[in-house]
Amino acid sequence: MIMLVFSAISFFIMLFLGVCMYAGFSATSRQEITQSTQKLMEQTGENLEDYLVRMRQISDAVYYNVIKENDFLGQDKEIQQGMNLLYGANRDNLRSIAIYNDYGSLMAAEPVASQKEDPDVTRQGWYKRAVSEMENMHFSTPHIQNLFDDNTLRYYWVISLSRVVEFTEGGDPRTGVLLVDMDYSNISRMMNQINASDNGQYFYLCDSNGQIIYHTRQMQIENGIFRENSRRAAGYKDGVYDEISEGEHRKVIVNTISYTGWKLVGVIPYSVFNHGMFNIRYFIIILMLLMAMMLVVINQIVSDRISSPILKLNDSVKEYEAGKHPQIYIGGSMEIRHLGDSIQRSYERIDLLMRRIVMEQNERRKSELAALQSQINPHFLYNALDSITWMIEGERNDEAVFMISQLAKLFRISLSKGRTVICIGDEIQHAQSYMNIQKIRYKKSFTFEFDVDTSIYSCCIVKLVLQPILENAINYGISGTEDNGEIRVTGRKEGGNIVLSVIDNGIGMPQEEVDLLLTDSKHIHKKGSGVGLVNVNNRIKILFGKEYGLTVESEPDEGTAVSICIPEVPFTQENRKVIEKGHLFSEQK
Amino acid sequence: MKNSKRAFVLTEVALGIMVVIMTFIMIQGRNAKDTDKVSVIIPNSDDNEWSAFRYGLRMAAQDQNIEIIVAGTGELGIEEEEETIEREIDNGARAVIVQPSSGKGTEKMLKQIEKKIPVMLVGEKETEDGTALEIPFTEPDNYGIGEALAQELLKDYNGKIKGKKIGIVSETGDFGTAADRRAGLENALAGMGTEILWSVSDLHGKEKGEILKSQLAADIIIAFDDSSLILAGECAQANDLHGALVYGIGNSTEAAYYLDVGAVQCLAVPDEFSVGYQSLTQIAKKLRQRAYEMESQKVPYKVIRREALFSEENQKILFTMSQ
Repeated sequence: MIMLVFSAISFFIMLFLGVCMYAGFSATSRQEITQSTQKLMEQTGENLEDYLVRMRQISDAVYYNVIKENDFLGQDKEIQQGMNLLYGANRDNLRSIAIYNDYGSLMAAEPVASQKEDPDVTRQGWYKRAVSEMENMHFSTPHIQNLFDDNTLRYYWVISLSRVVEFTEGGDPRTGVLLVDMDYSNISRMMNQINASDNGQYFYLCDSNGQIIYHTRQMQIENGIFRENSRRAAGYKDGVYDEISEGEHRKVIVNTISYTGWKLVGVIPYSVFNHGMFNIRYFIIILMLLMAMMLVVINQIVSDRISSPILKLNDSVKEYEAGKHPQIYIGGSMEIRHLGDSIQRSYERIDLLMRRIVMEQNERRKSELAALQSQINPHFLYNALDSITWMIEGERNDEAVFMISQLAKLFRISLSKGRTVICIGDEIQHAQSYMNIQKIRYKKSFTFEFDVDTSIYSCCIVKLVLQPILENAINYGISGTEDNGEIRVTGRKEGGNIVLSVIDNGIGMPQEEVDLLLTDSKHIHKKGSGVGLVNVNNRIKILFGKEYGLTVESEPDEGTAVSICIPEVPFTQENRKVIEKGHLFSEQK
Repeated sequence: MKNSKRAFVLTEVALGIMVVIMTFIMIQGRNAKDTDKVSVIIPNSDDNEWSAFRYGLRMAAQDQNIEIIVAGTGELGIEEEEETIEREIDNGARAVIVQPSSGKGTEKMLKQIEKKIPVMLVGEKETEDGTALEIPFTEPDNYGIGEALAQELLKDYNGKIKGKKIGIVSETGDFGTAADRRAGLENALAGMGTEILWSVSDLHGKEKGEILKSQLAADIIIAFDDSSLILAGECAQANDLHGALVYGIGNSTEAAYYLDVGAVQCLAVPDEFSVGYQSLTQIAKKLRQRAYEMESQKVPYKVIRREALFSEENQKILFTMSQ
């Protein structure tokens, strides 16, 4: 549970950190991509400007150094030579240099090539723009040069730089248009270089009206397959803009090319940013997962350190509760050690208390036993003395002597040096003495017989258990019968136990009375007290265990048999002491 | 305690599996940058007549993020074509765009290739014996081009074309593309009283100019493909056609040049840029989705007259031819 809570908290913290990291990386990456694009565009813009400045310088050189310095009527060779020199020096960038007069007739051109049949330059855009704004130089959009035939069967794409010039022809000042056709492939090459990336980012060039000069998808735009917001971009000032084109978010960077008003436009679709973040995204996720794995391990160790002592403590307490007596675990943090120590001390005190309670209980049992025994002695003594009194009064001295001697034997065994447990032989002797006394008292109105296996004489028995049973047999069993009563005492081993029975042929009793006989010491039998039997039963159970004790079988008018069942324990001093301490009973319990 | 240990082990295993999956996706993402390669096998691949087509391929490749290889070839027979295609496949081509050669067995060969990789036809869709190749193709509206040329003829003669003798020049003979174009022309001129005086197709060899020179004098010569038109233009410029007016179909700067100089009266230009662009776009779709069925497509054409050759619109056509 602790681990789960730790893990959940750690996970959310890591998730938060991961998202923050990704957002941070993403923002930095976007900024870097935008900045590097801006730098690239500035560099390219400078290159383009340099190129265009060179073209303007060529135009100026042709105008001021060649056209202005010479007359077309007499110095056409010098003009051609001057133009040839300039063209030769800039052959890589130029397609042609040409001068047309105000009627559109060709005055001079370099390289020398045959002019196409009636090209009618006055209808061409570059010418019209030069004438319409005479004070400026004009850069056209790319177009096919349709002026000269060089027999290569090819058409060249050029950007025309045109301006109105004044020249002299036969001393007369005239106006015309100077045309410098720049090779479009140079601009195209510059733009191709910065468009080499295939990640979706691209750059294009448009004029101040949004007319495309260069675009990587020029034909797709012409064919309507692709659309470009070049008109909108042409209206932007230099800077970075966000826009949506065809449902795609993109960043547009605009850089104006000096002298021309052209716009160099960089387009970065947002997918480029995402593409750049692809690896970082997965890297962050993997990093987070690895951190999560590490945190789970740490959490496991931490929670183990916290929970393990608690669990060990709990286990030792459980074992204690199960009846074992392990040492209570004392370990872990200070608080848990303190807890373990407290539990250990509590259990020690409980043990002490338990021992004290057991001791007190034993003492109580002993006192109960003593009390039970003390209930017998006065009872019997009263009866015996009563009988002797009658004998003496009736001058039956021999009988009185016999009775007194039997009483002496009986008391000797009753005392037994204060012992509770005696051998069965003594108990039988005690019972015989008792029966002899009672037989005299009851004027031989009953007979008795002892049929006891002598092999059991040497076994242990609680003293004075037969006497109350015999007393009951005499008083309540046969006293009311008309015929001579018979009482038989038997004793033998049965299945590892010893069974001593007192059987009479008296009046007996119904089963419901039998059931009550041993359960309620306060029960008043209709023909006398059952207290003696309950006492005997309790004493046997206290010293030998609950499975031992008395059983009573009786049939009305047939008689009663009361049996004592005790374990077969040889009579030794050691066994006697064990039984007297109640240890046998305790262990069985 | 045991449950806790089990949860710990399961969590670690789950996280470990996720790390492995993410690493795999990252590596796959890097490898995904490798673009598909498509080879283009066309005869005389360096000829100017393919400029617009090649430009269209380049633009489509840029849009579809595909690498194209235009195999360097000369004249292609069926065996050379098969060898070239097999070589390109061995070199990693995942699809081919082919102008089928006219020889017999082309259909069987292309069907075998089509079982391995997607094939798109350009230029021709029939074999020499007139068997239609049941493979997707991209081509101009050839019948329409023939018809348009006939309409221009009629316009130039104000419909009074009866009795005019026509000579027909075609490089590939009377099948496939040339047959469609011719059918369009003949249907449009049907009942106008024109006469096809001669028809030549075998223009191979060094002295192919002599072939036209040696033909009977015709009033009009119709060239049904770019090389035929260039040949007819050359002859017309050299006044070797007995004053015949040349009309034709072409898609090269040379063809435009002969129109520019007046050697050709009218030029019908198939939009070869679109042929290249659309054929590769179809292939790209097929490579992205295996279940995609490529469609045969017809692209438009443009009829150009000399006076409008340098109009803004026609300059764009010249732009594609100049790439």
